[in-house]
Amino acid sequence: MSATTAGRRVRSPLSYRLRRYGVEAACMALGFVIFVWSVTPIYNMVMISLDSHNDIFSGTIWPEHPTLESFEVVVTQDFWYLARFWHQFGNSFFVGLMTMFLTLLIGTLASFTVGRMRLRNGWMLTNAALMTYVIPASFLAIPLYRIMQIYGLTNSLWSVILSIVTFSTPYAIFIFSQYGKSIPIELDESARIDGANPLQIYTRIYLPLMAPALVAVGTYALLLAWNEYLYNFLMLSTPESMTVAVALAQFLNSDESPWNYMMATAIIYALPPLILYYGFRRYMAAGLTMGGVKG
Amino acid sequence: MSVTQQTLAVGRGLAPTRLARRAWHGGLQGSDYIWAVAFAIPYALVFFAFVIYPICYGLWLGSDPALYTQLFDDPRYLTAVLNTVIYVGVGVNLKMLLAFLLSGFFLRKSWWTKSLLLVFILPWATPALPAYISIHWLMNGQWGMLNNALYLLFGIDGPIYLNDHWTGLAANIGAYIWKTMPFWTIILLAGRMAVPQELYEAASVDGATGLKRFAHVTLPLMANLYIVCTLLDTIFALGDFNSTYFVSGGGPAMSTEVLATLGIRYAFTTALPRLGVATVMTALPLLIPLVFILMRKLRMNEVQL
Amino acid sequence: MVGMSRRSVLAGSVGVAAAGALARPYIANAQAKTAVCWLNQGFIPQEDAAMRQVAEDYMKASGNKLDYSIMPFMAMNQKTISALTSGDVPDLVFMDAPSSILPQNAWDDKLVDVSDVVTPYESQLSETAKLCSTFYNKVTKKRSYYLCPIKQGATPFHIWGDLVEKAGLKMSEIPKEWDGIWTYLKQAQAPLRSKGMRKVYACGLQITTVGPNDGNNLFVHFMIANGGEGIVTSDGKLHVDDPKVREAAIKSVEFMTNLYKEGVVPPEALSWNDADDNNGYHEKLFVMDFDGTLSTELAMIKDKQAFYHDMQTVAPQLKNDGTPMKTQVNAGGGYIPKGAKGVEVAKDFMKYFMQPNVMNENLKGGLGRWAPAIPQIVKDDPFWLSTEMPCLKPYITEAVLNPTLPVFEGFTPAWGQANAEQLWGQAHADVIKSGMKPADAVDKAFKRCAEIFAKVVM
Repeated sequence: MSATTAGRRVRSPLSYRLRRYGVEAACMALGFVIFVWSVTPIYNMVMISLDSHNDIFSGTIWPEHPTLESFEVVVTQDFWYLARFWHQFGNSFFVGLMTMFLTLLIGTLASFTVGRMRLRNGWMLTNAALMTYVIPASFLAIPLYRIMQIYGLTNSLWSVILSIVTFSTPYAIFIFSQYGKSIPIELDESARIDGANPLQIYTRIYLPLMAPALVAVGTYALLLAWNEYLYNFLMLSTPESMTVAVALAQFLNSDESPWNYMMATAIIYALPPLILYYGFRRYMAAGLTMGGVKG
Repeated sequence: MSVTQQTLAVGRGLAPTRLARRAWHGGLQGSDYIWAVAFAIPYALVFFAFVIYPICYGLWLGSDPALYTQLFDDPRYLTAVLNTVIYVGVGVNLKMLLAFLLSGFFLRKSWWTKSLLLVFILPWATPALPAYISIHWLMNGQWGMLNNALYLLFGIDGPIYLNDHWTGLAANIGAYIWKTMPFWTIILLAGRMAVPQELYEAASVDGATGLKRFAHVTLPLMANLYIVCTLLDTIFALGDFNSTYFVSGGGPAMSTEVLATLGIRYAFTTALPRLGVATVMTALPLLIPLVFILMRKLRMNEVQL
Repeated sequence: MVGMSRRSVLAGSVGVAAAGALARPYIANAQAKTAVCWLNQGFIPQEDAAMRQVAEDYMKASGNKLDYSIMPFMAMNQKTISALTSGDVPDLVFMDAPSSILPQNAWDDKLVDVSDVVTPYESQLSETAKLCSTFYNKVTKKRSYYLCPIKQGATPFHIWGDLVEKAGLKMSEIPKEWDGIWTYLKQAQAPLRSKGMRKVYACGLQITTVGPNDGNNLFVHFMIANGGEGIVTSDGKLHVDDPKVREAAIKSVEFMTNLYKEGVVPPEALSWNDADDNNGYHEKLFVMDFDGTLSTELAMIKDKQAFYHDMQTVAPQLKNDGTPMKTQVNAGGGYIPKGAKGVEVAKDFMKYFMQPNVMNENLKGGLGRWAPAIPQIVKDDPFWLSTEMPCLKPYITEAVLNPTLPVFEGFTPAWGQANAEQLWGQAHADVIKSGMKPADAVDKAFKRCAEIFAKVVM
C-alpha cells in the first residue's frame, strides 16, 4: 500500500504533490485546533482532579505534585459525599438503560405504525409529539413534579426515567421516521404476501434493519438521562434513590468543596457512555444514514 | 436504477416527489388496523400521561397577565431578550455551520482523523455542571489556566474575559457550542455518509468536482437535514440555561443574562416560579412558528420518498 | 374524630410548652403519627450525623415517625419551590438559609403559622432570630412566625495572619473601624508582591453581581458601617429618600469602587461566583475575605498550620463613626408548608428541637459553623467560647454576643427581589465600567429599588 502511494508520488507532477501536502498540512493544523478546542476544558478538569491541595487557580498549567488520590477516593468511596457512589452509579445505570430501552421501544413502535403501516391520521401523533418542545424542558419541572406525585411515583427512579422518556421520544420518533424511509417498503410487502402479521414484520424486518439507528438514538437517550440533573434533583430524595447527578450536586452545596473530588467523580462518570459510544460507533456512523438526505 | 433517478433529480436540483407506496394497499383492514393502533398506544400513553397535563399546567402557570407587566418592568428583561437573540442566533447557526463543515472533515479516512473524532466526542459525554464550572475557572482572568498558558507560552497577560459583556457572552456561547457540537456533527456526518458514493461518481463523470460537486450534490441532499437540525437546536438552545448560569453567571452586571437564566432565577432564587414560566413563555411567538415549520417538514417528508 | 384528636394534641402541646421551659414540652403520642421531613445537608459529615441524631431521638421519645431525608441544598431548594407551587408538600422543611423562600411564600399564605411553637421560647431566643423568623402574610394582613429558628450565622473577616506579618504589618494593629480594616490591610499588597508573589491582591472584595448573595451581603455591611442600616425597616418600608441613607450608600459605593480602582482587589471580582472568593482565599491569592459563617476556616480543618495558626477570624467591631457596629445575622430552622398532612407531628418535632439542650447538641455537631438561636446556650456551654478552635470565639462573639441586625429579607419580599436584581453590584459596575459618579449610580439603584417596593404593598 505504501509502495503504491510512493509510486504514485513519483509519477505525480510537482504542483499536484505540493497541493496534496498543503491540503494535508492544513488538515493537520485544523485537527490540532479541534484537539485543543475539545480537550482544554477537560484538561482543566483533569488538572484540578490531580491536585492534592484542591487548588483551582494553581498558577501553572500542570500541578506540581500530580496525584491520583482523588480518583482513589472516588473509587473507594472514601469521602462522605461519595459514601454511596457505586450505589448511585448503579442507579444512574438503571435510569440510563431504562430510558434508552423505553425511548427505543416507544419510538420504533410509533414510527413503524405511522411511517410504515401508515395508520390513518397517524401524522397527528408525530405532530402532537412536537408539542413537547413548546415549553423548554427545564420549565416543565414543576408540572412534572406534580404529575409524578399524582401517579404516586415520588422518590422512584421511574419518575426520572419517565420524565426523560417524555422529552426523548419525540426526537426518537422523528429520527426513526426519517431513517425508516431508507428501508424499501417492498420488503414489508413480500413479507405480507408470505403471511407475516405486522408484529412479525416489526420484529423480523423493521427492527433488524433499523439496528444502526437504534444504536444512535439509544446513545442519545442514554446520554440525555446520564447528564440530566434538574429532574434528578426534583424527583429523588432518599440516599437509596439518588443518582450520581444528585451526588455531584452535593459539591455545589457550599462555596467550599473538594473540587478535586468533584472533577474526579465527573471524569469517572463520563467514562461509561464514552466506552459505550466507542464500542458502538461503527453502527452509529451507519445508523444515522437518515432518510432526511433523500427527501 | 434508483441511482440514476436520484442523479437526474440532482441534476434538476429537485428531489423526486412520488406518492408514498404502502405495503397495506387501500388502507388498513381488520386485524392489521388493530395492530397499527396497538403500536401507536405506547407513545399515545406517554403523550396523554406526561405531555398534555404538564404543558397545559405550564401554560396555566404563565397565564396571569399581571406576570407580564411585572416582567416587562424588569430592566433585565430587555437585555435578556437581546442576549437570547444573539445566543441562539449565533450559538445555533455558528455551531451548525461548523458542525456541517467538520462533518466533511471527519469523512477523511486517515487514522488520525478517526482517532480525533473520538476526542472530539468527549465534551458530549462529560457531565454539564462540572464541565461548565471548569470553563468558568479556566477563563478566570487573573489565575485561570487559559491566561496562565498565554503567559507561559507568549509572555502576555490575557484579558479578563468574564468582566466584559461581549467576551462574557462569547464565553457562554462558546461553552454551549463546545458541549453540543459533537452531537450535531455526528448526525450530519452520518447524513453525509448516507449520500450514495455513486452519486459523486456520476457527478464527476459530468465533470463536477470540488466546489461544484459540493454545491450540486452534497448541499441539496443535506439541506433538509441541516434545516431540521437547526430548527430543533434553536428550540433546545432557547431553553438552555446551564452554560450561561455556570460560565458567566449572567455577569458582569447581569449583562449576559438570557431568558432561560432569568426564568430560572425568578423560579428558584426569588421563589417566583410563575414569573419564571412567564419569562420563557415570551419566547412562544418565536417557538410556535418553529414548531409549525417542523410539523410541515415532517408531513412533507411523509409524502416524499 | 380525627380532627378532634389533632386539635387536642395541639392544644395539649401548646399548653405544656407554654407552661414554661420544661425538659419535654412535646407530647408522647399514643397514636403514632408520621411526618415527612426534608432536611438540608451540612457542609461537614458531623452536621448530617447530628441531624439524624435529633430525628432518631425524637422518634424514640415521642413514638411518632419522621420520614426524613437529607439532601443537597440546590436540589432541596428546587424541590421545595416546586412543592409549594404545586401543593404536594412535605410536612417539614429544615433549611440553613431559607431566606430566599420564606418571605415570598409567607406573603402568599403558603406556610403554616408556627407561633404556637415559637412563642414559648420567645423569652430565650435572640431578638435577631425572632425577627428573622417573622414574615408578613398578605392574606391575614399581619406578621407572624413562619420559621422555628434553631441556628443563626454571621459574616466575619477571614484574614491570612501569616501574609499580614510577611508584609511587615501586624494583626494587632488592625484598626477597629470598618473602613480602617480595609485601608490597613490594603497596604499588604505592595510588600507581598515585592517578595515575589506576582499575582497576590490585598482584598477579596466581592463586588459581584453573580454571587448571588455575596455582593448584596457585602453592600449591606458597608451600609451599616456608614450609618445607613435604616434603608429598610422591620415594617417593610424603604427609606431611600432619607438623606442619611443616601449618603451612606454613596460613601459605600465610593469606598468600594475606589479600592477596586486602586488595584488592591482582583479585577475578576466583578464577576466572581459564590465559590471564587473562597477558592482564591484558600490559595492565598489575596490576604482577606469577608464571607458568611465559619465555612471558610472549617473547609481547611485538615491543614493544621492554616487552621490553628495562619488563618485569623476577625469580627467587625466599630462603625466608621466609632460606635459599635451591628452585623447582620441570618437564621435557619424548620418551617411547615400549608397543606401538609402531618402538621402536628412536624410542630411537635420542632418543639422538641427548640429545647436548648437539643439545639445545643445538634449545633455543636456542626463544629460551630452555626451558632444557637438561644444566646444563653453559648454562655452555659464552655464549648462555644473555648479557644481550642481559634476561629470559634471571635465568630460566636460576633454572631451571638455582640448586638446584631436581622437580614432585611424577612422584612419584605421586595428586598429579596431587589437583591435578585443585584442593584448594588450593578451600581458598582456602573461606576467602574461606565464611569458613572457614585451618587448617580446610587440614585439609579435607589430609583429601581423604590419601584420594586412600590409593587409590594403591605
